[in-house]
Amino acid sequence: MKVLKKIGTAILSVLRSVGSFFARLWKHKQGRVGLIIVTFLILVALFAPLIAPYDPYDVTQRAEKGLTPSWQHLLGTSITTGQDIFSMLVYGARVSLSIGIITGVLIAILGATLGVIAGYVGGAADTIIMRLVDIMIVIPTLPLVIVITNIFGNSYFVIVFVFVLFGWQSLARIVRSQVLLLKNSDYVKAAELAGASKGYIMFRHILPGVSNLVIMSSALTCAGIMIAESGLSFLGLANATSISWGKMLADAQSGGAMLFGHWWSVLAPGIGIFLSVFAFMRLGLALEEILNPRMKRKSGLVKVFKHLNNRYLDELFASMDDGAAPFVQSPEPQKKSKRRGET
Amino acid sequence: MNKFYVLKRILYTLFIFAVVVTLCFLIPRLGVEDPCSRYYPAQGNMTDEQFEYIKELTRQQYGLDGSVWSQFIRYIGELFSGNLGTSYQSGNPKVLDLIADRLPWTLTLSITNLLISLVIGVIIGTYCASKRGRWQDKTLLNASTITTAVPAFFIALLLSFYFGFQWEIFPAYTDQNLVSSFGWNWESISAVAYNAALPVISMVIGGIISYAQSTRDSVIAVSNENFIITARAKGVSNSAVLYKHTLRNALLPIVTNVGMSISGLIGGSVVIEQIFNWNGIGTLFLEANNTNDYPLMMGIMIFTSAFALVANLVTDLCYSLLDPRVSLGGRR
Repeated sequence: MKVLKKIGTAILSVLRSVGSFFARLWKHKQGRVGLIIVTFLILVALFAPLIAPYDPYDVTQRAEKGLTPSWQHLLGTSITTGQDIFSMLVYGARVSLSIGIITGVLIAILGATLGVIAGYVGGAADTIIMRLVDIMIVIPTLPLVIVITNIFGNSYFVIVFVFVLFGWQSLARIVRSQVLLLKNSDYVKAAELAGASKGYIMFRHILPGVSNLVIMSSALTCAGIMIAESGLSFLGLANATSISWGKMLADAQSGGAMLFGHWWSVLAPGIGIFLSVFAFMRLGLALEEILNPRMKRKSGLVKVFKHLNNRYLDELFASMDDGAAPFVQSPEPQKKSKRRGET
Repeated sequence: MNKFYVLKRILYTLFIFAVVVTLCFLIPRLGVEDPCSRYYPAQGNMTDEQFEYIKELTRQQYGLDGSVWSQFIRYIGELFSGNLGTSYQSGNPKVLDLIADRLPWTLTLSITNLLISLVIGVIIGTYCASKRGRWQDKTLLNASTITTAVPAFFIALLLSFYFGFQWEIFPAYTDQNLVSSFGWNWESISAVAYNAALPVISMVIGGIISYAQSTRDSVIAVSNENFIITARAKGVSNSAVLYKHTLRNALLPIVTNVGMSISGLIGGSVVIEQIFNWNGIGTLFLEANNTNDYPLMMGIMIFTSAFALVANLVTDLCYSLLDPRVSLGGRR
């Protein structure tokens, strides 16, 4: 009984903190917008078979190619295959969101782990990890991604793997610099003096200290990954059998939707991409302000935009890596740290 | 500038380049198809010996004979003499020649894009910083929200849809005669400009806004510094404060942005080139990918990496010239 009670209170406290977290997010205007859209998109993705009038994967449910919008086909049919575009749009949310979220979580885990190891353990581990980060940041990523998908195939697994492989560096760098700050803080010093073990300090003091940072940046990573994924599938480099928004755009382009003036088949997937990326960005920015209230609003916002600057795919990768931006590389904090060093 | 710092940066760049070259050597040899199997799918009426002999000749041609180590040494040697290998394309053109043919076209797009976005972006950014908090500033913020959330290729698709197909103002597909008939006369150059309009516009939209946003950000950050307040207190005129004191310091971080853009000059416009069928490195790379032309892919990769690495190095050195604190160890 006692054990059960303990487990019960633990679950309750977790639920309470999660609840208060969402309540705070809800109070925040941008956070609410992001939360509503993300929830909506996740529901659409989960219940896709119920929402979509046709199953786009089912070859027998294809209609005539390139139909204009009507009550039978809300957004017409695809110009290359005759699939219902509205159903494709609904099913496309599955690919986009799942790749975005799964990769975001994996990057958060990998980046945070390596960042904490580099920052807290230091020494050789720090050197190796940080050199690796430096190398991977300067190598142009897009060609390498294309080569890897060419050789290892472009299954779902490979795409996620590639994104994780080239996405963890920025987070590791940010986390490391945060850990270095925490490591020199008084309460960690006090814990060390009191005889706490390294592992205890790492889990009780360092990890909670960086968790906010990780949560916040993984929302932004999701947004970045979703843009990158749409780009890859637009180029025909992602899984060709699954329906994604990027691939719908590619089909519309190659099928001549532009020539025949089928604007709906271009606009629909584009709005899908925009909406999901926009929502995750709002969520990330709101989280940043909620979890890190000391950070000034304008500077944080602007730096994150810079950090997610995605004029083209390669730059997106580059800026994902260079995402040290919000905290480390920006000119302002540098000067401050310099001043601190002088005094 | 600190000499030790320069040397360290150069050695470091060389090391990363060595890593890239090794990767480019290893990746195609990691159990991908033998090029011979593509050329000689059927043995036909050859005997086994003849077939093996022809296969051996093909391997020699692509530097795939002998042990991996001897291949690697030969590969490095060829690289130093400027040979990036032979493409699998018919006629077996040299990879470097193929790249050299396409390079000017990609650079035309990306350098135009960089110049336009830099100049207009900095002007708009400075203006918005001076109108801080007013509607001009808010418009910029909203615009940057939208352009960051919309992939550049979607903007390009919309532009090609309306300006190219519906209203027929600019060509939606690049005229392929452009390349073959190019000469240094007014007609060719204006034809190139006409064809490049849509790709450049679709890259420039995001570029201007991102440069404007970062300029605005850094101008505002600098204008809160003590030396600006001092200058104002001394009675320096508004324009002198802006141009002599604020902007000069505010443009420092922009150097990093420009450096990033420069390192993406070659490899950065793949999707845009694909949409507008532009005859550049990006489309070459995609063609190579579609035909599994590994020597060509690796050649382009080495070339773009080398370019990006050099650009990175130069940016870092420039930055440390402009802001000596960096090379004195202020950064890390």
